[in-house]
Amino acid sequence: METGLIALGAGLAIGITAIATSIAQSRIGTAGVGALTEKPELIGSIIILVAIPETMVILGFAVAAMMLIGGGGG
Amino acid sequence: MILEMTRVQIVGIRGDLQRAVRKLHQIGTLQIDNIHNIPDAPIQEFSINPETQKGQEDSRYLITQIQGLIQTLGCEQAAPADSLSDIAPREIRAQINTLSPRVQELNLARRELESEQEILPRYITTLKKLLPMVPDSANQPGNATIGVLIDVSHINTLDWISKRVLEITRSKAEFVAASVDENTQAMMIVCPRAYASEIETLLGQKDVSQLNLPAEFSHLPPQRSLEALNQRLETIPLEIEEIERRFEELAAEWCPKLNHWLLMLEDTLDEVEVLSRFGETEHTFIIYGWVPARDYEALKSSLEAEIGSRIFVSALEMTPETRKLAPVAMENTRLVRPFERLVRLRAVPLYEDIDPSGLMALFLPVFFGMMLGDIGYGAVLLVLCLALGRRMQSGFLSDILKILRIGAVWSMVFGALYGEAFGTLGEALGLRPIWMDRASPENMMGLILSFVAVGAIHTMLGLVLGIWQAAVHHNRSHLLERGGMLVGLVGLFLLTGTLANLLPKSLTSPSIAVIIVGVVLLGTSMGKAGIVVGPIEFVGVIGNILSYMRIAAIGLASVYLAKVANDLGGMLGNLVVGALVAVLIHALNLAMGAFSPTIHSMRLHYVEFFRKFYEGGGRPYTPFRSHSSPDSR
Repeated sequence: METGLIALGAGLAIGITAIATSIAQSRIGTAGVGALTEKPELIGSIIILVAIPETMVILGFAVAAMMLIGGGGG
Repeated sequence: MILEMTRVQIVGIRGDLQRAVRKLHQIGTLQIDNIHNIPDAPIQEFSINPETQKGQEDSRYLITQIQGLIQTLGCEQAAPADSLSDIAPREIRAQINTLSPRVQELNLARRELESEQEILPRYITTLKKLLPMVPDSANQPGNATIGVLIDVSHINTLDWISKRVLEITRSKAEFVAASVDENTQAMMIVCPRAYASEIETLLGQKDVSQLNLPAEFSHLPPQRSLEALNQRLETIPLEIEEIERRFEELAAEWCPKLNHWLLMLEDTLDEVEVLSRFGETEHTFIIYGWVPARDYEALKSSLEAEIGSRIFVSALEMTPETRKLAPVAMENTRLVRPFERLVRLRAVPLYEDIDPSGLMALFLPVFFGMMLGDIGYGAVLLVLCLALGRRMQSGFLSDILKILRIGAVWSMVFGALYGEAFGTLGEALGLRPIWMDRASPENMMGLILSFVAVGAIHTMLGLVLGIWQAAVHHNRSHLLERGGMLVGLVGLFLLTGTLANLLPKSLTSPSIAVIIVGVVLLGTSMGKAGIVVGPIEFVGVIGNILSYMRIAAIGLASVYLAKVANDLGGMLGNLVVGALVAVLIHALNLAMGAFSPTIHSMRLHYVEFFRKFYEGGGRPYTPFRSHSSPDSR
């Protein structure tokens, strides 16, 4: 039971943060593509803006990993 | 490395203008500034006379014509004729005017043949369906055959047409009908030729489609029409082949000339268009520009050799304001050059920035290797990059392949450290990890901490570079900001060490004090809002370091997908099918493994590393250079 709950928690940690990241990046990416059609030289800044929300899923991965390792569910 | 630039002023007599411009174009090292953008220039903009403007328009038109001919003849890759001497634009126009009609004629003929090749099969299909039912009367010379095509939804119209035709021909017509396809019904009317035009008028009034054969076949009886159509269909490819052969002859004769004239005219146009950037007085022209410092003496001596003492070339003093306007020319070794493109993707460096291409060349392939980390994948990627790289000598893809090549080598290195070859297949073949087995859950925390440590080192290197930049440029705000971040991080690492029992507990209070000092310095650089923004920015830096955990995350994703490939291949029970499935999944993993680590390595540099020291926003060095120059191609 405990192992299952740990696994569920780890899955939720990474799943929810991945959804949040993808929602954020899809909106930024859409706006970025629109900006690029007007000003192609902005590509560097747009890559950075699209990449910023990824920190959420990385932290989610870290939490999931700690839960799996700490809870003995890995 | 960013080349040192010299700001140059060139003053000459107006009569020598054309020679000077041509010489500058040939030398190809001077970037010419627009006189409008030079606030301290006490001169007026150069005025171009109407005759020169007319010449400009003529050249543009000729260039467009030549580009069209090059495209039609397929000359894009042909080398321009080197031994051809330059001729005046009007002579070029005369020669183009002899070539264009020939090319247009061949083009038109080819299009007509291709159109015929597309349409004739439809006629043949319809005739084949109707022919078995056509009465013998259709072959009599006095009779005409009219074909009608109608949509199946209007099939009742055929009855109406039949009745009207019988009225017109006084019952001297015969009809046959057949289905052409699921949507179309065809009917053939055989009647005396005298009634043909009246029937066609009737069909036209009712907006009914007629089966109009090409004129050369329409007068023939149906069977002979079909034979003639088939014969024609067989000869069309031969005629197209003949036209292609004539195109190739024209291309062989004209392509070198066309490409030479195109370069010549583009150069001529550039030499006219650049005049608008010059300044003038009553008797002189003045040019302001930039040249790499090492090329200044060569530029000066070349111009003076060409024009003599009537031209004056001088190097101007660089003030802090003019330094900001200097264009940026990057020059690096062959190994680092592909990474310049990635740096420019983010932003062209400022003249006073550090050129981060070398740092990127050092770290990006290592991060790539850490993520992919597989001997098998690295070897396959290396072979693919070498094979594809032979076909591409320059351009964006060529640079990416060179970068991937280096990354593939590092992948093999880290593959040996992790003991991976096509995932867990290496282990089955006796390969053992030199450092740690990534796939093992016991090593996951160690793996994550290792890459966080890599991130800490990389980030601190960025901050050190940023502090150095700030000190060199006497930027107090940046010095405090980056210094504060660095001090705060040092304190944080000390505190982490004491909490992990790696350092004595007595260091706990000093390390907290160091963190506070760092945050205060950081906050001070941001003014009054620093008391709130400072701690937030510090947490942001910690987030930047934690971001390097993605190296572990992406690497583990690759390992587990490779594991799935191997396990699934083994489970199927059939060697051939299992191997095929495993190869397909490995191929997918390799494709993702080439793409994803590249993007994430770039992102770590652009976001986590460059933001600590790199400003960007400079303007690239674009010298006034002839299109014929090898550096322009």
